[in-house]
Amino acid sequence: MTQDTTSGQPEVDRQSMEVDIACVGFGPAMGGFLTTLSRGLLNEDGTPAAESKTMPGMPPQVICYERADDIAFGVSGVVTKARAIRETFPDLDPADIPMTHPVTEERLLYLLDPVGASRRPATVKAADAVIKALRWMLPVRDQALRIPFIPGFMKKHDGLLTSIGQFNQWVGNQLMASGTVQIWPSSPVSGPLMENGRVTGVRLADQGVERSGEPQPGYMPGMDIKAALTVIGDGPAGPVGRILDEKLGLPEGNHQHDFAVGMKVVVELPEGCELKPGTVFHTLGYPEPEIFGFLYVYPDGLASAGVFVPSWFDSPVRSTYRYMQHWMQHPAIWKHLNGGTIRSWGAKTLQESGRRGEPHLVGDGFARIGEGSGTTNVLTNSGVDEAWLSGTLLAEGVLELLKSGEEFTKANLEKAYVRRRRESWLDKDSRKAEKARDGFQRGFVRGMIGMALAGFTRGRLSLSGDGRTPYERVPTLEQFLKGRLTPQEVEKLRTEAHAKGRTLHDSIMELLGWPKIEYDGKLLLSHQDALLVGGKVQAPPGYADHVVFLYPHLCEECGTKVCAEMCSAEAISVNPEGEVPLFDREKCIHCGACFWNCAKHLQDDPERGAIAFRAGAGGLHSAEN
Amino acid sequence: MAGSLQIVVCGGIVPNPLQTLEPTAGPQGPALKNEAMLPAVLDPWAWHALFEAANLAKQAPGSKITLVCMAPKAKLQQVMMTIAQKTVFELQPIDGPASGFVESADVAGELAEVIKGINGLDMQKLLVFGGWESASRGAGTTMQILGEMLGITDQFQGVDEIRLKDDGSFDVLERIEGGKHQVSRCAGAPAVLGWATGNLPEPPNNPQAGMANMRGIMPALQKARPAKPGQDGVKFLDVSLPSQRRETRVVKDTPAEEIARELAEWITG
Amino acid sequence: MEKILVVLFTQEDGSLGRTAFEATGAALGLAKELDGASVTIGIAGTSIQEAANALAGSGAEKILGAEAAELAQPRYATDAAAAEALAKAAGATIIVAPGTSRWNRIAAGVAHRLGGRADTHATSLAVHEGAPTITRWYYRQRMVAKLSRTNRPWVVSLDPGAVPAWSGEPSQATVEKVALSMPETAARTEVIGVEAPEAGAQTIRPEAETLLVTGAGWTKKQADGQIHLKEAEAAIMDFLRQTKASLGSSKSLVDQEGEGQAVLPFLTHMNQIGQTGSTPRHAKGLATCCHGEEPHVVGWRFITERRAVNLDANCGWAQGKADVLYVADAFEVMKKLNDLLAEKAPATPES
Ligand SMILES: Cc1cc2nc3c(=O)[nH]c(=O)nc-3n(C[C@H](O)[C@H](O)[C@H](O)COP(=O)(O)OP(=O)(O)OC[C@H]3O[C@@H](n4cnc5c(N)ncnc54)[C@H](O)[C@@H]3O)c2cc1C
Ligand SMILES: Cc1cc2nc3c(=O)[nH]c(=O)nc-3n(C[C@H](O)[C@H](O)[C@H](O)COP(=O)(O)OP(=O)(O)OC[C@H]3O[C@@H](n4cnc5c(N)ncnc54)[C@H](O)[C@@H]3O)c2cc1C
Ligand code: SF4
Ligand code: SF4
Repeated sequence: MTQDTTSGQPEVDRQSMEVDIACVGFGPAMGGFLTTLSRGLLNEDGTPAAESKTMPGMPPQVICYERADDIAFGVSGVVTKARAIRETFPDLDPADIPMTHPVTEERLLYLLDPVGASRRPATVKAADAVIKALRWMLPVRDQALRIPFIPGFMKKHDGLLTSIGQFNQWVGNQLMASGTVQIWPSSPVSGPLMENGRVTGVRLADQGVERSGEPQPGYMPGMDIKAALTVIGDGPAGPVGRILDEKLGLPEGNHQHDFAVGMKVVVELPEGCELKPGTVFHTLGYPEPEIFGFLYVYPDGLASAGVFVPSWFDSPVRSTYRYMQHWMQHPAIWKHLNGGTIRSWGAKTLQESGRRGEPHLVGDGFARIGEGSGTTNVLTNSGVDEAWLSGTLLAEGVLELLKSGEEFTKANLEKAYVRRRRESWLDKDSRKAEKARDGFQRGFVRGMIGMALAGFTRGRLSLSGDGRTPYERVPTLEQFLKGRLTPQEVEKLRTEAHAKGRTLHDSIMELLGWPKIEYDGKLLLSHQDALLVGGKVQAPPGYADHVVFLYPHLCEECGTKVCAEMCSAEAISVNPEGEVPLFDREKCIHCGACFWNCAKHLQDDPERGAIAFRAGAGGLHSAEN
Repeated sequence: MAGSLQIVVCGGIVPNPLQTLEPTAGPQGPALKNEAMLPAVLDPWAWHALFEAANLAKQAPGSKITLVCMAPKAKLQQVMMTIAQKTVFELQPIDGPASGFVESADVAGELAEVIKGINGLDMQKLLVFGGWESASRGAGTTMQILGEMLGITDQFQGVDEIRLKDDGSFDVLERIEGGKHQVSRCAGAPAVLGWATGNLPEPPNNPQAGMANMRGIMPALQKARPAKPGQDGVKFLDVSLPSQRRETRVVKDTPAEEIARELAEWITG
Repeated sequence: MEKILVVLFTQEDGSLGRTAFEATGAALGLAKELDGASVTIGIAGTSIQEAANALAGSGAEKILGAEAAELAQPRYATDAAAAEALAKAAGATIIVAPGTSRWNRIAAGVAHRLGGRADTHATSLAVHEGAPTITRWYYRQRMVAKLSRTNRPWVVSLDPGAVPAWSGEPSQATVEKVALSMPETAARTEVIGVEAPEAGAQTIRPEAETLLVTGAGWTKKQADGQIHLKEAEAAIMDFLRQTKASLGSSKSLVDQEGEGQAVLPFLTHMNQIGQTGSTPRHAKGLATCCHGEEPHVVGWRFITERRAVNLDANCGWAQGKADVLYVADAFEVMKKLNDLLAEKAPATPES
């Protein structure tokens, strides 16, 4: 899925500033890059190891712009093997980082459907029946089968549990204290600056504009930051990376059609909860066979819990929030959470095309790192360590070029960075993961419950994604509800909801047998209340809307309004007065899921949906996710 | 144009106001649970004071702004990342607690020491700005004590506006009862102004200001003066979250007339 | 043994405001519970006899007076000098003050001069295990603390409306005058007046029985897709006129001015209640079109009875915070309510 080219910024005279290296996004990839780079910028005696071109006599000037309001406002699991992270910090003591603990125990649970509403193919149902029949001999408890072994690729033993917010904050603070690099939050980068195919820096988002982007009094055009090297680590749905992808295309044979929404909560576990810090649960099978879940236990009675709803989940009513609430209430999970309280909530896209989604990693004047560069392991939803490694590899290459005084050309970056990446475990593991994704089901299934679940394999095969975009996969409501409702009934439901400006997922899920969610104000909150926990979602005034409906004609003929149905924060809503949905910036958490979920595409451009997801300010304000 | 000024803005940091806060017993008395984990911001009213300082400095060319801030060093650094793009200032950091339970007199003492030590301090040009209250202690006491320590008795609290004149004198609008402002005319610096919200919008992020600031801020942070203000003489018997949950009767699907009638009775009753 | 001093400033007309009687009541109450404590009243102003007479029956040990022409104006230098002189003359160990803007400007400065400490915004003053103890809020009304001090003198300023006022008949009081010498620097600041919001739009009334809280919903598009500023203004102003209620606002509503959106002209930042606004005290509060959330709903933490009107049943300003939430259109409800109020008591012309 590509980005729109019309970035919406007026043509005006802009101030500009020169630095040596401009960086976009502060996630683990950039953490790895800047940590390794900053250590190499000065010699031991404090003299510059290389000289700045923009400020002669000084070490290279490195600036990183992060769009969120703080470097601690990310969203992730996190359980990680932390191989690369430990290589950077050999003396890392988990106790130094809040909400961090070594992994002590891992469990893999196959969740049965206690509700009877899960869309299980016949084969999965058969498997469930076998599990239930054999429950006397299988490790089945609380409607869940504990799978006795964990496939090697999933194992995180010797790894770490952490909170991405706390981890990024810890890394960022050390970086800033080093004085060699600068990190600026609240600074969305609207796009790359390009001259003759060469990236020459970045442009920051305009301030002092209306929602439409029109200048207001106090207009401050986003500044141009010129740099010899631009490092792009803007994550799975980063607009800067996507503009580049659009301009340069993807390498032959690659695509970025596989995504997931990861949504999570941080829970204060109930008193007396017996889970030990360092415990990791992975779950599969429920609430829908395509939805994975996780529960990670931190020190001090805290835990992270959440689900992944992938793009290959073929339902037009794909509310991650609602599914997460059903998942939390599964007996095998609920027994640990019940009595606890949600402290924080968040969601974000995962780019799951992995190695197959790899863009051009380098070009003249730029390099890509992290999830947007295809680092995330598609099988295990593991991306932090991989992103970190990509950053450190680039930093090693950049230091090499800086010290030898070589330019940041495509060829030099290929030699200094891409080569390193190809030789590293990152590349090897991502290839393995791709194979394992197919092999995973077979091996695991066999090991799990033998032949009875073999059919399940076929059901899961779509797990690997088959290269189709969500708009190609997701059925219309009529198709989805076939056999349950007549097209007339569907239309009636739709018209009624539309008139009230409501989405349909709640009524449809309830129609399909999902029980109503009984809010308890502690673990089961209304979606809007979730936006208020752990530091309310907010948007500073003076920025343009970053979610824009580009092609009203597509929305006019869109019957599913998937964008509103799936929006992680109900920031997109059905417009009672028209077909083009409404967007409320103050609720958006920048998860980036709307643009890839759009149900339509331009006729002459299969990669272009109706939604532009641009660089914007604000969003989540929790440092615990 | 008025002559140049030396504007010192004093501001602490507080947890981002939308975070969930809970008290806990620390070794030196009450503290905030997970304080180190909570994202922090510059105290909101001091934040306004900083914008006002920037605005005033524009009216008095050659003016200089110094931000004096006491907070744990690591947190302070992170807060600087969000404010240093707003306007150019010099940072005088003090590495100490940011808790609202620390004695304001001790904090004022630390601030006074730092201000007295500012290179080229000129009392005749000095305006000391701060928030009229902090979002942590909510007392409005620090600035007054600081003023006393610096020997400044032209003090204003709850300030929403300053109108600077060419001769260096200025009018100050302070909040008083009934939503009104008291207008005072002051002969000029030195003075202490504790700011309320003021009228200025938050300035946009300016990367150049950020660049300029960081060059000074990082070295200054490294040399941050350590401080240990205490809770001497004060004894907290109890700090708790108020239990605020009420049983809310929800009236739905009722005609407006009926609701109005119920409300009218309640209001006049 | 505590020597309790109440320090009061007279109002422009020489009388005392309600808060002065509250502070007096609190001091007398404290003394009653403390063995051997005495209460002195100190009054500062240009001419204080009338004020002293009003408190003559309070049973205070004595009444001290500090008079000077400079005290006609609330000003740090002169007010602090007067309070300092009174405290010294009384040898006070505890100084109780009303939490007016005038006192809150000087409380900590005066304490510092006397070598003591100050606590402002106290909401109670009582004796706990033999020691004077106050209650005050931290973190913008999100935590409440009980504390006592060994520091003396201890200046405590009490939030308006937090404690019951002393009341009694005035009689002729004997006043012991305290000599005052005003600092030379006092002349550097001169109060030149008071600026009130637009004439007739006096919307903040701390003494009012009822607080009306208005939220951004009033300026948002309504069911018909339009913004109805005129109607909003009419509904709100009519209600205020009829009930003499005080007007509060959410932050969003007053912020809109800076963001160039539709605004209600009579609202300023001073109306804002909540975490970065005020937390007024009133017997009743009616919130309309406010969503708000936990930290900001503190705006009506000190409102005794609370009701809300919102289209959204999940309205954070109400759920679990209000006694009654009416899920309804505030435009409609307020209009009907205003009509009813007008019927009940024909509106008196604006005085
Ligand atoms: C719910 C969930 C659970 C997960 N669990 C795990 C797990 O257990 N283990 C694991 O290893 N991985 C996990 N992942 C994946 C992991 O979080 C990511 O792979 C990883 O964060 C990628 O790092 P990154 O640095 O490439 O990108 P990100 O972490 O996404 O960082 C990119 C940064 O760029 C910023 N940015 C984007 N656009 C702009 C712009 N225009 N201007 C400026 N800044 C911009 C973003 O705000 C962001 O901070 C999980 C992900 C989710 C969503
Ligand atoms: C640092 C900081 C400090 C802050 N301090 C404060 C503070 O001190 N005080 C404060 O209030 N906020 C404060 N806020 C802002 C706060 O987060 C909220 O944004 C704000 O309180 C929301 O205001 P609102 O309820 O008016 O607006 P909205 O959230 O826009 O809510 C409008 C409400 O009106 C309702 N509505 C619309 N039309 C009608 C109708 N016809 N009839 C009935 N109901 C209707 C809607 O259902 C909705 O609930 C602060 C924020 C920050 C970041
Ligand atoms: S943006 Fe896409 S999904 Fe949303 S209404 Fe338009 S076409 Fe449908
Ligand atoms: S509108 Fe915002 S919250 Fe909703 S899906 Fe898009 S990015 Fe996520």
